[in-house]
Amino acid sequence: MASRRYVIIGGSAAGLAAAQAVRELDRDGSILVLSAEPDPPYYRPMIPFIVTGQKTAEGIGMMGQGPYTARGIEVRQNARVTAVDPRARAVTVNDQESVPYDRLLIATGSRPYIPPTIQGVDTPGVYAPRTLADARSMAQRVSNARRAVLAGGGMVNLKFAFALLERGVSVTMVVTSPEILSQVMEMDAAALIREALERAGLEILTGRNIVQILSGPGGVEGVLLDTGEEIPCQIVCIGKGVRPNVEFLSTSGILVDGGVMADGDTACFFGQEKERLPEVFTAGDVAVTFDPITGQRMMTALWTNAVEMGRCAGRNMAGWPTIYTGTFGILNATQVAGVPFVSMGIVHTAGTPYETHVVRTANTYRKLVFSEDGKRLIGAVFVGDIHHAGLYRYLIRERVPLDGLKAAAIRHQLHYGHLLRIK
Amino acid sequence: MKEIFVRLDRCVGCHTCEIACAVEHSQSKDLFRAISEHPVPRRRLFVEWVAPGQKIPVLCRHCTDAPCMHACISGAIRRTPEGVVLTDTDKCIGCWTCVMVCPYGVIGRHPEMQRAYRCDRCPDREVPACVASCPTRALVYRTVEEFSAGVRQTAAAEMLAGERG
Repeated sequence: MASRRYVIIGGSAAGLAAAQAVRELDRDGSILVLSAEPDPPYYRPMIPFIVTGQKTAEGIGMMGQGPYTARGIEVRQNARVTAVDPRARAVTVNDQESVPYDRLLIATGSRPYIPPTIQGVDTPGVYAPRTLADARSMAQRVSNARRAVLAGGGMVNLKFAFALLERGVSVTMVVTSPEILSQVMEMDAAALIREALERAGLEILTGRNIVQILSGPGGVEGVLLDTGEEIPCQIVCIGKGVRPNVEFLSTSGILVDGGVMADGDTACFFGQEKERLPEVFTAGDVAVTFDPITGQRMMTALWTNAVEMGRCAGRNMAGWPTIYTGTFGILNATQVAGVPFVSMGIVHTAGTPYETHVVRTANTYRKLVFSEDGKRLIGAVFVGDIHHAGLYRYLIRERVPLDGLKAAAIRHQLHYGHLLRIK
Repeated sequence: MKEIFVRLDRCVGCHTCEIACAVEHSQSKDLFRAISEHPVPRRRLFVEWVAPGQKIPVLCRHCTDAPCMHACISGAIRRTPEGVVLTDTDKCIGCWTCVMVCPYGVIGRHPEMQRAYRCDRCPDREVPACVASCPTRALVYRTVEEFSAGVRQTAAAEMLAGERG
């Protein structure tokens, strides 16, 4: 058999994880990663450290770092795929060049969502930071900035808030919801984090929206809120979630419904009749997959999920049939203002019949969410103490019947030894 | 490639391995000096207990398809040519993604350093400190082939003894 030509559209988490997985199983095939970005692949979640200056572009590069050690992976930068023809098995790069494939991965990721309700987003100094280029530009602008206003209180904006604080910029966070981090936890859980953020010097305004960017000759000069308040600032950072990059597929016939629809093994479909395309796969932010807890369709924008799905796709591309086990909608860990937290699975329980157990101390918050019948764990939030979080993820994901383990889980005494006994 | 195997039937729960581990990962590598060091040296394996009397040493398995290594968002976790999954403390940013995905619960959050830490299989030693210190040889450092050969021999001896009555 002639060696296979693997083509991967997208040079970030899902794409590189797939490339690595392919190479681990197929020594001979050619692997071509087409990336629209001008920079070689990098750890995207690290770009706030470019703003602080704590890391360099080289320092956050993916190639050769962590698990990305495979050889013989060609990455082409500035190579935007503009069309895909699954019948001819070829993709078009930059509207001109046709590149044939035997196996294709669609891993084009997502881009920031800019709410149309904000006027003046084209003003210099307004960022929706996503790329290394964005971070470099922000790093430069920070030198002349006294205050930044951040629209949105999610994970990305929190990280940039701290990057900006680190650079000596005052930061005001304007949040639509009544509390920060509303996408990944409920209000009572976020309270501890919010207190720590405010102690660290972050100003948080909830229940408000930016309606207009105020500009002057040098770019951003302030923002106008829907309450009529004006806040002078030199930087605006929009963190309002992402949308998948699917537009280039409009003429391909590949089934897109919000994102690229994925079969159980991450393979794509052709047309509304859902004809399987056994040589085309998808992974990462652009893919529509399912939540293993609820079975509902799911799209996420999480590095960890993108890597897992990318590796699964890579195995299938290399001819090792592998089923994808799905994606929690929430699978977040980080630390801000000295407070670590982990949130995973189903954690928004207000108005649901799920059994919940919350334990609070002065510095910690723990919430476990069990299925309605109380037999399985389906979600967990740990703030302040994240000890053994991975065990709980395992219980959720593998739908482990808890039987005698529930009391230990609730008391946070669970350890791996307990799991050995019930296998 | 050698690995640390746990023989559960031999563990008496004395926690000697935990102390040896913490001392090995101290600056002085001396118990009495290690106690007063800052940052406080930490153990990287854990002797757990399941009622009524089972002791279970839990340590990093350096998984073949290590979830921590793939999940890491900073490229701080890599596999050495010897098969050891290592966290590079200088690259670690303390985001705890590895803690969130480790099903064994053996990656710790160092309270003073704010970095993840875990078993490094004692790179400066021929035999890891936990194994060397274990008084009942519940922990052994062998290749998979050596260990499974031992298991087969024991099983064969028991079968023979059983047949003889």
